[in-house]
Amino acid sequence: MANIDISEREFKHYPPKKKKIKGSSIITFIFLAMIALAVLVPLYVIIVTSFKTLDQITLGRIFDLPTTWTFEGWNKAWSEVCSGMTCNGVKAGFFTSIKILIPSIAISVGLASITGYALALWKIKWAGSFLFVLFICAFVPFQVIMIPLVLITAKLGIYGTFWAVAIVHGVLSMPFLTLIFRNFYKDIPPELINAALMDSGSFWRIFGEIVLPMSGNIIIVVLILVITGVWNDFLIGLTFGGFGAQPMTVILANTVITGTGAVRYNVDMAAALLTALPPLIVYFALGKFFVQGISAGAIKG
Amino acid sequence: MKSNIKSLAAKLALGVAMVVTPAAIAQAEEVQLYHSWSNESELAALNVFVSALEAKGHTVVEMSVPHEAAGSSPLAALVAAGTPPNIFLTGQAGFYRDLRDQGIGQEVGSHFKATGAWENFPPKVQEAIQVDGEIVKIPSGIHIDGMLYYNMKVAEAAGVDPTAWTSTADMFADMAKVKDAGYNFLGLGGNSFQAGYLFHALLAAVAGEDIYTRFYSGTPDVTVLDEQGFKDAVALFREIADQNDKGWVNRAWNETTNDVIAGKTLMQIHGDWMKGQWRANDKVLGTDYNCINIPGTKALAVTVDAMGILGGAGVSEGMLKAEFEMASIVVDPVLNSEFAAHKGSTPVRMDAPKDKLDACNALVLDSLAIPGFSVLNPSYIGDQDWINSVWNAIFTLQGDNDITTGDFIATLKSEHGAIFD
Repeated sequence: MANIDISEREFKHYPPKKKKIKGSSIITFIFLAMIALAVLVPLYVIIVTSFKTLDQITLGRIFDLPTTWTFEGWNKAWSEVCSGMTCNGVKAGFFTSIKILIPSIAISVGLASITGYALALWKIKWAGSFLFVLFICAFVPFQVIMIPLVLITAKLGIYGTFWAVAIVHGVLSMPFLTLIFRNFYKDIPPELINAALMDSGSFWRIFGEIVLPMSGNIIIVVLILVITGVWNDFLIGLTFGGFGAQPMTVILANTVITGTGAVRYNVDMAAALLTALPPLIVYFALGKFFVQGISAGAIKG
Repeated sequence: MKSNIKSLAAKLALGVAMVVTPAAIAQAEEVQLYHSWSNESELAALNVFVSALEAKGHTVVEMSVPHEAAGSSPLAALVAAGTPPNIFLTGQAGFYRDLRDQGIGQEVGSHFKATGAWENFPPKVQEAIQVDGEIVKIPSGIHIDGMLYYNMKVAEAAGVDPTAWTSTADMFADMAKVKDAGYNFLGLGGNSFQAGYLFHALLAAVAGEDIYTRFYSGTPDVTVLDEQGFKDAVALFREIADQNDKGWVNRAWNETTNDVIAGKTLMQIHGDWMKGQWRANDKVLGTDYNCINIPGTKALAVTVDAMGILGGAGVSEGMLKAEFEMASIVVDPVLNSEFAAHKGSTPVRMDAPKDKLDACNALVLDSLAIPGFSVLNPSYIGDQDWINSVWNAIFTLQGDNDITTGDFIATLKSEHGAIFD
C-alpha cells in the first residue's frame, strides 16, 4: 500500500503543471525587455560599426552586419589615433588607468572596510554623528570641493601624478563604501566579537583574523563598484592628472573629438569599446559573487 | 709625437665638450604647452610653431583638452595647483588677470616692440592682445567670427551667385532656387558655441558697431535690447534657424562645414577657421569654394587667436628665454603665414609675405583697414556671465520655434537683472 501511495504521489505531480503566465508577468517581461533593448541595441550598433569599413559606414545602414569584417578600426584606436598632436592611440591611457586603479582600490577598500568595521562593531563615541556626517558627504557634489582638493594635492606635491587621481578617488568613495561595509558588518553577531575580545583579541587582530575572512562577498561587491567607478571616471582624471597622468577616458574623449575631415566612426567605436572592456571583463568574471554579495546584505538599508 | 698630439687633441676636445655641453643642456628646456584645439587644421597649424621651437633644441610636452570636452576648467586647476603650463592657448582676459594677480603673468609688449613686431600688428590685433592696458597675449591668427563660405559647384548647380548679394534679403530671395535644386540652403550646427558666434556676428553685421558694443561691452546697456537693429539681428537669426536642415541637432561646426564641402548644403556662416577644414579636404579656393562677408554687413566681429606665457619667480631664466623664443616664432611673418594657411586664419602681421595670402586673407585685411568696420569678439570686451547667458538664450531660441524675438528680449532683460543689478 505504501508503495502505491508513493507512486500515486509521484504521478500526481508528473507531468508537472504548466505555469500560467499572468498578465502582470507579461507587463514585467515587456518592461524588462524594453530596458534590455535600450542598452543592447546601441551596444550592437557600436560593436558592428567597429568592425566595418568606412565605405560601408557611409552607406548609413547602421544595423547591417559588416560585409567585410576588419580590425582596422581597432588597430588604429589602440595605437594610432591622435589625442591633440600626440598620435599613440588609447593604449597610453590604458596603462595610466591601470596605475591609477591599483592604488585607488587599495585606498578605497582598505580605509572603508576598517572604518565600516569600527563603526559597526566597536562602541565608539560619536559614532552616530560620524556616520551622519559621512552620509551627508556622500551627497556633496564633486565640483564643490574640486578646487580645495586641487590645492591639497598640490600641497602634498602629488598634483599631476597618478597618485593624486588615485587618492582623490579613494577619498571621494569613502563615504559610500564605508556605509556599505558598516551595513554588512553590523549583521555580524556581537557575541562573536565579545568572545574574541575575551580571548584577548585586539582591534586589528579581530579585524584581520575574524572579520576580514568573512568579508569575501562584500569585498567583491565593493571591488566591482570601485573598478567601474574609477575606470569610467573622466572629470577627476582630467582635473588631477595634469600633464602626466591622463587616464584612458580622457584620451578617449580627446581622440573622438580630435577629428580629421571625416568622422571615423569605426575607430571611435573601437576606442570606446576598448575603454569600456576592462570593467566589463571584471563584471562578467565576478558577477556571480556580486549578486551573492548583494543578497548577503552588502547593499541594504 | 704623433700619438701625443692625438692624445692632446682628444683631451682638448673632451675639455671643450665638458665646458660646452652643460651650457647646451641648460638651454634645452622641456616646455609645457596647454591647448584646446582638436581639428586637423588646428593641429597642423599648431605643429608649425611646435616644430620650430623643437628645432631650437627644446622639447614640448603637450596637454590637449579640446574645448568641447571640458572648457577651461583643467587650465584653471593647473593654475590653482601652482603648476601652470609655460605656454597656454587662451584669449580669455580673466585668465590673464588671474595670472597677473598671482604674480605669474608675463608681459610681452616690450619684447614685441624691441623685435619690431608691434608696429606690424593691425590696430585690432594691438587692441585684442592687451588686458587692462598691458600687452600680455601673443597673437597667432586673425579670424572673422562670421564669414560666409559657400560651395561654388552647388551655387552653380542651383543657379545662384552669392557674390551678387548685397543684403541678407537678397540672400534669402535665392533660397527657393537652392532648395528646389535639392540642396540645403544655409547650414547651422547644434551647440551653444555655434549659435552664440553666429548671433554676435549677425549683431555686428546687421546692427553695426554702436549697438554691438553697447550690447556686449562692460556692463551692457539694457536699452539696446529695444533698438530696431537688435530686433532685426534676432529676426535674422530666427530666419536662419527656421530654414536649417533636420540634421542640425548636436552637429559640430566642422561637420556642418563637411556638409557644405560634400555638396549637401550651399553655405555656412561661421568663423573663417572653417577654411582650414576646406583645405584639409584638399579643396581649392576659387574653384571649389569661395568666401564673402555677410551680405550688407555693417561691421565684422574679429577674434584674435592668442597664447600666453608664464612669468614670475618660479620660471627659470632658461625657461623664460624658451618662452620668448616661442613668442618670436608665433609672430614671425613667414611662420605665422604658414600657420595661417593651415588654420584658415589671416596672418597677424601686415608685413606677412604677400605670396602666402589668399583671396580670403586679402578680404579680411582689406576689411580690417576700414575704420569702424570691425569689432572685437565679445570675450575680449564683455562679461563672461553675460556672454554665457546670451549663448544659452540664443541656443534655446534656435531649438524652439515658438520663442519669439519678444520672448528672447524678455529673457535677456531678466538675465541682465540677475547678473548686473
